[in-house]
Amino acid sequence: MIAIRTFLTRLLTHPATILGAIAILFFGSAYLSGGTVAILGFLMLNILLAQSMNLLTGIAGQISLGHAGFYGMGAYASGILMKTVGLPFIVSVPAAAVIGALTGYLVSFPAGRVREFYLGMMTLAFGLIFREVVREWDGLTGGAVGLSGVPSTTLRNLSLFGVTLDGLDYFRVVLIVTAVVMWLVHNFIQSRYGRAFYAIHASEVAAGCLGIPRAGTKQMAYTIAAGMAGLAGGLYAHMIGYLGPESFDLARSIEVLVTTVVGGLGSMAGQILSAIVFTFLPEKLQVFAQYQFIVYGLILAFTLILLPRGLAGLFLLPPRFIKPASLRHVATDGVAIRTAGTVADAALKVEGVTMRFGGLVAVDNVSLELHPGRITALIGPNGSGKSTLVNVVSGIYQPTSGNVRFYGEEITGLEDHRIAGLGLMRTFQDPRLVPRFTVRENLLLGAHRRYRSSALAATLALPSAAKEEAAFLATVDAVTKMAGIADVADQPLESLPYGYRRLVEVGRALLAEPRAILLDEPAAGLSEAEMVLLARMIRAMKDAGLMVLLIEHHMDFVAELVDDVVVLDSGRVIYHGDIGGMRQSPAVIAAYLGTADHA
Amino acid sequence: MLEIRDLIVSYGAIEAVRGVTLTAAPGAITAIVGANGAGKSSLLRAITGLAPIKSGSVLLDGKDITKLPASRRAELGLAHAMEGRRIFRQLTVEENLQLAWQFGRRRNAWADALERVFVTFPILKDKRRVQAGLLSGGQQQMMIVSVATICNPSYLLLDEPSLGLAPIIVQEIYTFFTERCREDGTTVLLAEQMAALALKVSEHGYVLRQGRVVREGPSKELVDSGLVAALSSAYL
Amino acid sequence: MEEFLTLLLAGISVGAVYGLIAIGLNLTFWTTKTMNFGQGSVMMLCAMLTATLIARGWPQALSILAALGIIVVLMVFTETYTVRPALKIEGSMGWAVSTLGVGIVLQGCAALWFGSQALAFPDIIFSAIDDVVVFGVHVSLQYIAVLVLALALVVVFELLVRGTVWGRAMRAVSMDSDLASVIGIPTRTIVLGSYIGSGILAGVSGILVAQIGGTVDPAFGFELVIFGFVAAVLGGMGSTTGALVGGIVAGVLQQMVGGYISSAAQHGMAFALLILILVVRPQGFFGQREIVKV
Repeated sequence: MIAIRTFLTRLLTHPATILGAIAILFFGSAYLSGGTVAILGFLMLNILLAQSMNLLTGIAGQISLGHAGFYGMGAYASGILMKTVGLPFIVSVPAAAVIGALTGYLVSFPAGRVREFYLGMMTLAFGLIFREVVREWDGLTGGAVGLSGVPSTTLRNLSLFGVTLDGLDYFRVVLIVTAVVMWLVHNFIQSRYGRAFYAIHASEVAAGCLGIPRAGTKQMAYTIAAGMAGLAGGLYAHMIGYLGPESFDLARSIEVLVTTVVGGLGSMAGQILSAIVFTFLPEKLQVFAQYQFIVYGLILAFTLILLPRGLAGLFLLPPRFIKPASLRHVATDGVAIRTAGTVADAALKVEGVTMRFGGLVAVDNVSLELHPGRITALIGPNGSGKSTLVNVVSGIYQPTSGNVRFYGEEITGLEDHRIAGLGLMRTFQDPRLVPRFTVRENLLLGAHRRYRSSALAATLALPSAAKEEAAFLATVDAVTKMAGIADVADQPLESLPYGYRRLVEVGRALLAEPRAILLDEPAAGLSEAEMVLLARMIRAMKDAGLMVLLIEHHMDFVAELVDDVVVLDSGRVIYHGDIGGMRQSPAVIAAYLGTADHA
Repeated sequence: MLEIRDLIVSYGAIEAVRGVTLTAAPGAITAIVGANGAGKSSLLRAITGLAPIKSGSVLLDGKDITKLPASRRAELGLAHAMEGRRIFRQLTVEENLQLAWQFGRRRNAWADALERVFVTFPILKDKRRVQAGLLSGGQQQMMIVSVATICNPSYLLLDEPSLGLAPIIVQEIYTFFTERCREDGTTVLLAEQMAALALKVSEHGYVLRQGRVVREGPSKELVDSGLVAALSSAYL
Repeated sequence: MEEFLTLLLAGISVGAVYGLIAIGLNLTFWTTKTMNFGQGSVMMLCAMLTATLIARGWPQALSILAALGIIVVLMVFTETYTVRPALKIEGSMGWAVSTLGVGIVLQGCAALWFGSQALAFPDIIFSAIDDVVVFGVHVSLQYIAVLVLALALVVVFELLVRGTVWGRAMRAVSMDSDLASVIGIPTRTIVLGSYIGSGILAGVSGILVAQIGGTVDPAFGFELVIFGFVAAVLGGMGSTTGALVGGIVAGVLQQMVGGYISSAAQHGMAFALLILILVVRPQGFFGQREIVKV
């Protein structure tokens, strides 16, 4: 089964197959009937829409129930700009994409403020309202009667660079545009942006702590997806020359969603398969029309439950998020793990931090300092406030009072991705990684904040972006070697035992080239051998001049590594000093053993 | 009798409990000690029906309850005081108690049940109309054990009852359930990080490490063998 | 002035129904943090079944009960086969897609069985032309009846939630479902109950809206859910008082905009209101900010 999937994936995603298919469609369409060419044109639009929805839902994990609204926005924009304003085709269609994107940007603005399903409702509302507005605003849109006379191939009044386009020419234009857009999307997905989209999908909190802004990333996903839908709409407008509000109703939005879900969330190839099915099936099966809505409803109701990875899950391997080309250019050795430059003193200062949850004081007036090149252990019984303190420092909780300074800069209450952006990284008690990513992809996520090349460079696969990616991949190799996980670097994380996750998470933080790192029980659940590897990584951090805060319960492990110890009990610091002194401290002994005078 | 056989609890690929077999002797206190992350909470949560059981079984009085939903287990007389101050913060003390009484296995009249709580913890009587979220940590813990025992359960699972409490309160809580065990014959399963404390009040003890039982025996023997000292120095 | 008062009453009356819809959405939000995206079809189906049964000569009360009975069965199905399994799959939004799917199926079935034309909805208590004159203003009795009914339902709902064991159990599940099940509350049943309750509220709202509008068609509903959602967000997700106030605000604004500006702007108004509240106060009038625990 795996062999078949591997074969199919190689075959379908091979450049020769793709270029061949484009060439066959480009030249072969000359021998097809006008009707068939028209259907192929619709197929291209459906592919564009499915890819748009896939980027949004499959990759970024966001939902749109009003995609027809974005599509319609583009269609009417291009139609009106060309017919009423008189702009040329070459301007009106890109304008349609821009207007679609702008709409997506506006509709998704609450992304950072509310639960995800609000956006589901908002897009649903947008889709319904778009149609109503189009129906009522007849001065501009032609209202319920529709907008006719849009320059199109059927009217023989559409021209590009002075050449009048016929149906076949137009299909070829649409084909090329679709192919180019897919190439761009593919590059985008296999860049740090695609990985960031997917990370937001898998764990928002972890993504934030890697410096990936949640709200911004989600909004970016809506913007790009809506832009693609707008582009598809613009192309649609000139295919038939008539626009009616019915073409952009809820049913159309549902159709796009159905195509994407059936194709397989996340898989670009799956989207093409599915678009083919849903373009030709209604054409071939007239009887289908009557039950179309019901069938679509059933598909939506049950596909995600019964076949969560859709057609792609049946026939293809899961998509990957690193360009194979970048992997081939990785330098093989001589890469050291670097960290950001350090200043001798300054450091991380926690001053009088208190964190209250309702009546519970989880952290009570805690102060502590971290110094470059020193490892500080944070110890305390369960529930003594260690993790809460780390959550405050890393920006997940806003403290009730007190403040945190990082190299003199006040970081109290900053958003987590901003704190991460300053070079303060953390790991979680329960490793938070992207289960479907390989070890390598997960590690590369750590480097997110250090990329300098732009989204445009990544999307166009410019050499500068590829070079940068290859450089980080070399660091990834160095880290996998140090962590002893080089042999599983290309395995999906979900297939690996627990210990690996810990090591990957610590390695991921290291890739961020941090100035300080907070490790929340990194050794929990590790075998002896894995602990040795972990200790090696932590020592490397110290040698590189990082500030390390280590929450840990294994005393032997801690004793070997740490320079300073801070002990918390019931949210308060009860001991501060070296580890030898801690073992003698009466307060510490009482906190752990329960003093002998009760029970 | 509460028996656990070859229990494996897993959250996805992560196994928190890796094949534990354990018996809680009727009418006695059995302690489960071990470091943070050893699997104590997961074990208790699996017994109650909250944690996903991958394999193995949980038997209550010889009856297999592995597949029963949590609420049905409560009806069979199983009570669980969870860790982490789990209470309904927006409900009053009395509403919290009443809810547990109404949905538990009702064998006692409400007035009697409430009276017993108030005799044991008089402070809760004063605070009966106060929202539970506004109580102090100690008062919350008193309410939590009272909620767990309001229907006179046959089995009481206690997860880190001493966590984050002042010694005087810890003593009060410990006194409470040791007396319950003695007077009502309640079978108690006590998960505790503070090994010395737990082994002192229990008859039998199990030491968990990385989801497995690494030692078991009469609590006294475990203490005498120097286990407590070893545990507290190796794991804090 | 008379026009203003008429619009105001219509707005309050329709708004109270939006409040009911919002309470229905809140109910499942409490127990599972989900919301039935197919709620509009539930409203439509209930109204359509009622109209059809009455047209076949069934007594009115019996028709309504029968329609609600079918809705109950439907909600049991929805919760059991689409929401519960979807909550288990990763990526958390599966339930939105699957509940929307059920809604679409219902819409498709309704179109197949009843045709896609609008059905006339019979007058149940008063007809559209019954009115009384208050201070010289003609006031539609139908609007008043709908308003009174909706308000009565909100009161009954509040009494059930605050005053009964099961209501308190439901609040307990919404606060901490693990703890609820540990003390013996059958959380599964409570969640199912919340879906049933939500369906009944939607069904009744559907009948009330159809009564005011006079017709019902298969596409009826989706827009109403949007207004219900706007009401819920305005009032603060989860708050019953908020839902009612939010519904009335949305209803009155909608009627005013429709009456004085244009009926086209009504829809845009709802969306603008939604955007506005999310900018100014995302937690709504009566809601509390959610603290995300890690």
